[in-house]
Amino acid sequence: MNISRRAVLGALAVGATGVVPAWAQDSKGLIVIITPSHDNPFFKAEADGADARARELGYATLVLVHDDDPNKQSELFDTAIAQGAKAIILDNAGADASVAPIQRAKDAGIPSFLIDREITQSGVAVSQIVSNNYQGAQLGAEEFVRLMGEAGDYAELVGKESDTNAGIRSSGYHDIIDQYPDMTMVAQQTANWSQTEAYTVMESILQANPGIKGVISGNDTMAMGAWAALEAAGRTDVVVVGFDGSNDVRDSILAGGIKATVLQPAFAQAQMAVDQADRFLTDGSTGLEEKQLMDCILVTADNADQLETFALAS
Amino acid sequence: MTRALLAGLLAASVLCGCKIVQKAPGAGAGAAAPADMVGQVVADTYEARLLPHVAQGAVDARELTAAIGQGLDAAGEALGARAAGGGAWNFLAKGEGTVVGADRESRAAVLEVDLDGDRAADLQIQLGPVVKGTALRDASPFYVFTDFKDQIEFAALARALNARATEALALPEGDLLGKRVAFEGAFALRSGSDPIQVVPTRLALEDAP
Repeated sequence: MNISRRAVLGALAVGATGVVPAWAQDSKGLIVIITPSHDNPFFKAEADGADARARELGYATLVLVHDDDPNKQSELFDTAIAQGAKAIILDNAGADASVAPIQRAKDAGIPSFLIDREITQSGVAVSQIVSNNYQGAQLGAEEFVRLMGEAGDYAELVGKESDTNAGIRSSGYHDIIDQYPDMTMVAQQTANWSQTEAYTVMESILQANPGIKGVISGNDTMAMGAWAALEAAGRTDVVVVGFDGSNDVRDSILAGGIKATVLQPAFAQAQMAVDQADRFLTDGSTGLEEKQLMDCILVTADNADQLETFALAS
Repeated sequence: MTRALLAGLLAASVLCGCKIVQKAPGAGAGAAAPADMVGQVVADTYEARLLPHVAQGAVDARELTAAIGQGLDAAGEALGARAAGGGAWNFLAKGEGTVVGADRESRAAVLEVDLDGDRAADLQIQLGPVVKGTALRDASPFYVFTDFKDQIEFAALARALNARATEALALPEGDLLGKRVAFEGAFALRSGSDPIQVVPTRLALEDAP
């Protein structure tokens, strides 16, 4: 587990009684960055993007992870409030469960800037900058249908059901694919965003449906697991499309494995949230709508070589 | 301080568990369609606001394609609209041209239209039933994401607008090649080199003179 050393050191520095926090001396204040576990490189890219931008702008940072546990997230908010954070950058641990702690921070005068995932209420956070998962899923589905020749049996791997992005991506896929009457979904199973689960699930789907021509996956880690199972079964003819734009899938695309993925610009999104926090702290307003959609980008063999750590080189 | 340390310990302890939950085929993971709210918005706004907005804001397609050829961002700043999160430029367009290609077999049917008489397609007009993109929604400032519960609802709005637009199209059967076409609609571009795919709010076809 890589709860960052910075986080622990930061907590030590601030928590020690009678010691003036190190950041209070020569910075614009503290920005607390809270995301899911960095074990998924997507969330690490977010945290790194926000951390780097906040430091550039002269803030001290405290990087924390909630591991998708709303209770833990709530405690981390208490930590941020106790430490007098100027702002919180958050990839949240639940669309409903996150409303209360964000409101608590707001009541304590600390604005929150959300990335990646939405919450169910507006007017609580200052900004909610989310990847346009629906638009991205449609891009992925359009490419998937094209690669399948608009026909054939396919399977869908769905993400963790408690994560609204799993549902949004699935809707986006089906809003496209279901309009093609010759595309037949023979299996739809969750693999909880997990590579190892996707491997096992793919094995059983293949056994039950040997005629399968394609697999569309709610994220890249599950796509990697599915591809490994297909390779092991000698079924590299199967079209696999993922979602996220990870370096692993980039490498697979370049090697002729997985056919496509959809990039969420995680790094840029996190930096944008910090920029908006800075503008809000300076001017009292971001000048923008609270909820903002950031477009995703289709990644195929044509542009995969430009992809690095959830950003496309321009 | 203990909280952060404790959090780290907790985090470490939950990492290794993994379980497999299999779902029966056909069990959808999507949220229930928020059809009523979206249907109401479309009913309230499509004719009352969207059609006048397109008719009043549409820029001549030849002027648009020329401007985009000079640089998408400059064309977008001058003639288009873009959401707060950035992304595609959305344009309202109108024009006339000649059908130089048509794919009515695909579910994502399109007409290829030549605007300037060189017999090469300058843009596509989407005929549906599969309509790509969210240009009608995003070219209209009165549809605001913050007003909607989540991405699913906001996406449903875009799809309902596309469906409303293309369902209304009355196309003659048979070969459309060579016919004159007049249209109004919206399109989005992320890159100047992408094809222009107009979602038509008005489309009229007639035999070439």
